[in-house]
Amino acid sequence: MTASAQIPDLLPVLPEIVLIVGALALLMVGAYGGERSSPLVNVASIMLLAAAAAIVTWLPSGKLVTFGGSFVLDDFARFLKVLALGGSAAAILMSLDYFRREKILKFEYPVLILLATAGMGMLVSAGDLIALYLGLELMSLSLYVIAAFNRDSAKSTEAGLKYFVLGALSSGMLLYGCSLIYGYTGTIAFPGIAQAAAQGGLGVTFGLVFLLAGLCFKVSAVPFHMWTPDVYEGAPTPVTAFFASAPKVAAMAIFMRVAISAFPTILVQWQQILVFVAIASMALGSFAAIGQRNIKRLMAYSSIGHMGFALVGLAAGTQAGVQGVLVYISIYLLMTLGTFACILSMKRPGGMVEDISDLAGLSRTSPTMAFLLAMLLFSLAGIPPLAGFFAKFYVFIAAINAGLYALAVIGVLTSVVGAYYYLMIVKIMYFDEPQRSFDPMPREQVVVLAVAGLFNLLFFAYPAPLLDAATAAAKSLF
Amino acid sequence: MYQAIVFLPLIGCLIAGLFGRVIGPRPSELVTTLLLFASMVLSWIALAQVGFGHHDERIVLMNWMTSGNLKVDWALRIDTLTTVMLVVVTTVSALVHLYSIGYMHEDPHRPRFFAYLSLFTFAMLALVTADNLAQLFFGWEGVGLASYLLIGFWYHKPEANAAAIKAFVVNRVGDFGFAIGIFAIFMMTGSIDFDIIFAQAPALVGKTINFFGWQADALTLICLFLFMGAMGKSAQFLLHTWLPDAMEGPTPVSALIHAATMVTAGVFMVARLSPLFELAPTAQTVVIFFGATTALFAATIGLVQNDIKRIVAYSTCSQLGYMFVAMGVGAYSVGMYHLFTHAFFKALLFLGSGSVIHAMHHEQDIRHMGGLKSKIPFTYWMMVIGTLALTGFPFTAGYFSKDAIIEAAYAGKNPMAIYGFVCTVAAALLTSFYSWRLIFKTFHGKPHDHHHYDGAHESPYVMLVPLGALAAGSILAGWPFYEYFAGHHVADFFRASLTFAQGNTILDDMHHVPKAVVFTPTVMMALGFLLAYQFYIRRPDIPVSLAQQHSVLYRFLLNKWYFDELYDFIFVRPAKWLGYTLWKRGDGWLIDGFGPDGVSARVLDVTRNVVRLQTGYLYHYAFSMLIGAALLITWFMFAGAH
Amino acid sequence: MSELLQHYLPLAVFIAVALGLSAALLIAPFIVAYKQPDPEKLSAYECGFNAFDDARMKFDVRFYLVAILFIIFDLEVAFLFPWAVAFGKLGLFGFWSMMVFLAVLTIGFIYEWKKGALEWD
Repeated sequence: MTASAQIPDLLPVLPEIVLIVGALALLMVGAYGGERSSPLVNVASIMLLAAAAAIVTWLPSGKLVTFGGSFVLDDFARFLKVLALGGSAAAILMSLDYFRREKILKFEYPVLILLATAGMGMLVSAGDLIALYLGLELMSLSLYVIAAFNRDSAKSTEAGLKYFVLGALSSGMLLYGCSLIYGYTGTIAFPGIAQAAAQGGLGVTFGLVFLLAGLCFKVSAVPFHMWTPDVYEGAPTPVTAFFASAPKVAAMAIFMRVAISAFPTILVQWQQILVFVAIASMALGSFAAIGQRNIKRLMAYSSIGHMGFALVGLAAGTQAGVQGVLVYISIYLLMTLGTFACILSMKRPGGMVEDISDLAGLSRTSPTMAFLLAMLLFSLAGIPPLAGFFAKFYVFIAAINAGLYALAVIGVLTSVVGAYYYLMIVKIMYFDEPQRSFDPMPREQVVVLAVAGLFNLLFFAYPAPLLDAATAAAKSLF
Repeated sequence: MYQAIVFLPLIGCLIAGLFGRVIGPRPSELVTTLLLFASMVLSWIALAQVGFGHHDERIVLMNWMTSGNLKVDWALRIDTLTTVMLVVVTTVSALVHLYSIGYMHEDPHRPRFFAYLSLFTFAMLALVTADNLAQLFFGWEGVGLASYLLIGFWYHKPEANAAAIKAFVVNRVGDFGFAIGIFAIFMMTGSIDFDIIFAQAPALVGKTINFFGWQADALTLICLFLFMGAMGKSAQFLLHTWLPDAMEGPTPVSALIHAATMVTAGVFMVARLSPLFELAPTAQTVVIFFGATTALFAATIGLVQNDIKRIVAYSTCSQLGYMFVAMGVGAYSVGMYHLFTHAFFKALLFLGSGSVIHAMHHEQDIRHMGGLKSKIPFTYWMMVIGTLALTGFPFTAGYFSKDAIIEAAYAGKNPMAIYGFVCTVAAALLTSFYSWRLIFKTFHGKPHDHHHYDGAHESPYVMLVPLGALAAGSILAGWPFYEYFAGHHVADFFRASLTFAQGNTILDDMHHVPKAVVFTPTVMMALGFLLAYQFYIRRPDIPVSLAQQHSVLYRFLLNKWYFDELYDFIFVRPAKWLGYTLWKRGDGWLIDGFGPDGVSARVLDVTRNVVRLQTGYLYHYAFSMLIGAALLITWFMFAGAH
Repeated sequence: MSELLQHYLPLAVFIAVALGLSAALLIAPFIVAYKQPDPEKLSAYECGFNAFDDARMKFDVRFYLVAILFIIFDLEVAFLFPWAVAFGKLGLFGFWSMMVFLAVLTIGFIYEWKKGALEWD
């Protein structure tokens, strides 16, 4: 008892503390300042996220453990935290113009994103099942709320409600899995589980199934994906952009950490699950997206497919595989943010439009945006030499080296099918008769689009920084 | 200097082709023409230096490609054979360039035209300066390309496009054989350099190649394949069908490509490879056969044609046959002699025809002409000179070279040579007849189309000057060169560029033929002239009644022995049927249906079903999640976990 | 066995006392209270609704809000009990942990107050 009574080292948790304290402070600012303070809260939130990212990189290197092993800050966590923080910051940045136009610019939105991001931070660093659950719930509860953020819109509230109910169900499954695992291994700490699970047993495997089912829900992998299209379509577009970016990073991170550090001894079992889930996700994402007319819904299926591709790398279960997933998720994050910057610019004097056909003739009405969007779509389809190609390349190579030939082949085939709907959008932009042009793109979107577009185009020229970081991160997990 | 000869036309082509729109048509014409004239002057100097000054040269420009044993340099081989061709090509080309300035002056695409002409000239020069078979093939295909582009120059005319495609496709057949010949040479000698091949040729005698199980004599097989290429390019019997159609191109093109230069590439090739042909008597027999047959066959068709250019085209075909007869009997220098003189008078006839056509506002049918003598006298006299030379009127250029071929054919030891002699003599009669028929129907008698007749006018000087120059050549190119090509100075003039085998005494024998043989061609020429005079000046009703009496024969000749119809039936229609079947059934039904289209249709089916899963009902979603988890659990219960 | 039952004796006493007390409190009003019945008084009490009606009726979302807020503070108290019991062994870290928890809760409370969630109208 005396050991736990000591005040633990708070340094590794500093970024999360900064985020939470900042979020509470900004909540008070908003509560007392009213709606007038919204712009201030937004800007301050972005600065807080930047500060947290700076602290993450500034913290001493190596593996820092605190709270009795519940919280782990290693290179893996650092890499993903920076990604998640960046994704969240971009999401807030891109939301400003939209919410201003829709007249729902409220201070709660950035505060909720800060809290969700703090949850992601905890999730990424979780060292046992309790920390995992706490981080996951902190993130998810915030997300449920912001899905329904435009509460005067029936679609938005429906999205929030669906997300909440299904999320609660998935949390239940996850908790059930946790309890099974605790019951059969007698511990909640990942290293301990790894040791105990080595004896095998169906009970642990059942626990694993339920735990992974809960996590699959968060990364929206088939068959736990059903919420994704409805929520993506119903939620306000900046919220969708956020959903598609940072939370996916965090969920994928905990997926990797659980698989690699808690269950390395029963790799065969979770590999089977992942192969099934990855194939189902890739196939469904590719096929279903073809039938979509709403671009947000299309992006939902796109993200389902991409999570499938990322899981291919994890299914390999090797360090190269984890590295591939990290590269994949980083590139995916930027591609998605860039694409959503374009989607958020699809507005005419009458309001926002979301149909793919509204992009017709974009190459003539705004050629630069059309070009960058086309490049992003090519990249999402995985066409060399754009960044998206390398993302797919690394996960497939990892899968092949791990002997998962069928998985890699199916992955390539589904990416061919997937290329169809990306190219279809490009075709609409370049060959169809122009519609009325969109309003000029707001500055915030221009920044995000420019960064994503340049990264996408130039990644092949200088991939070393990202690859090195991903290598270091993957190494720290093993 | 030799580099300049070859590459000046290329420079002209690039200037006119790339910057023609910028600098305008007139500068394009001037630049290409002036460069060609420069090239021509240098060529004559080269002939003097090499032919008479005995300065053979081999200039290596660069390594072209190296692949395993195959090492190909880009080198210029300068010997007498080359310089003769250089002179022919550059002279005719330069005059044709000049002529075209006048002939094409209404065409809006002149820069393109002149670029093509110069491109052709460059390719032809690359061909004749080739030092190895690859380079020869490059030039060979280059002229083929230029020919295709120029035949189809008026691409808005469907017939021109059809003719261009026909020329290209028929030449592919010949080139296929040519390429196989080159491969066979490389297989047998390990090299495609002329020097190495020629040095190894004697060692190849008696060797065999396994050709689809048939132990063929290597040299014979090689020579036959090479000759197949020559047949295509030089429009010999069976592969001749493209040449008359090629007349759809502008007339200067016909003069340059389809009379004076490109079609003689086959002849040149055989001469260049004389060391091989000398060792393959069987192949020589085949060469004589095809040459003689072509000479006679083309002449028979020429008798009844009505298109002024087609008559000249068949005449060209026939004359090329003469050259091959000379090649076949081993009198290579004689064949080259005829090539040399023929270039002048045939280019003259074509350009003269062009002048007539120009005067008649693009009317080409001689039945609509007549009486033009008084309207365009200069053209008339030029055409007469050309005809005299073609028919072998004494002391014109054609007289010397053609008679030399007939004498050589008589003197030849090859069993087929006598067939060559008979055919060429008969062809001489027919040549005379149809040539004078052309002159009489065009320039004499009464005008048949008064509208065009009244508008007829003499061409501008820029067109008449080349005519005059070529007319001078038609008369003067014969006698001064006789000794060098067919007389006593052959060995001294050509030296190593032509090879005569040990027992080949043809050049000597041909001077000892009976007097009767020497006079035969002249007699034939006179006979042909008299016949034509009788038919078309004195009794114009005879040909009409003859045609009615022998309508089968007449139509047989008029339809060119039905070769086009035959080929259409044997090759074109089956090929089209095959193509159509593969397209509709093979590609459209089988591959598209089960391939891309089928797959994409199945993809859409899958998509429809998958999208239907997304009902929007919360309990369906929850159900799917639970089913998913249950499935995984079941899997592990029964199969997965150990 | 009897020893085991003896352990439960205090519980039995406790139940008996509870029963007695509640019975006394229920019975006493019948005896001493002033009675003037009317329909409203006799109907079953249901906070603000008709007792017998269709169950699937709309009702004010504010009830829900209040219930949620109540649960939060209910849980807070539920969390405080074990903390208080084990306080002696938790030391400084345990104390500050709960302080932070209370502070966070307070901030939430301030927020809902300022947003007007606690006002019925």
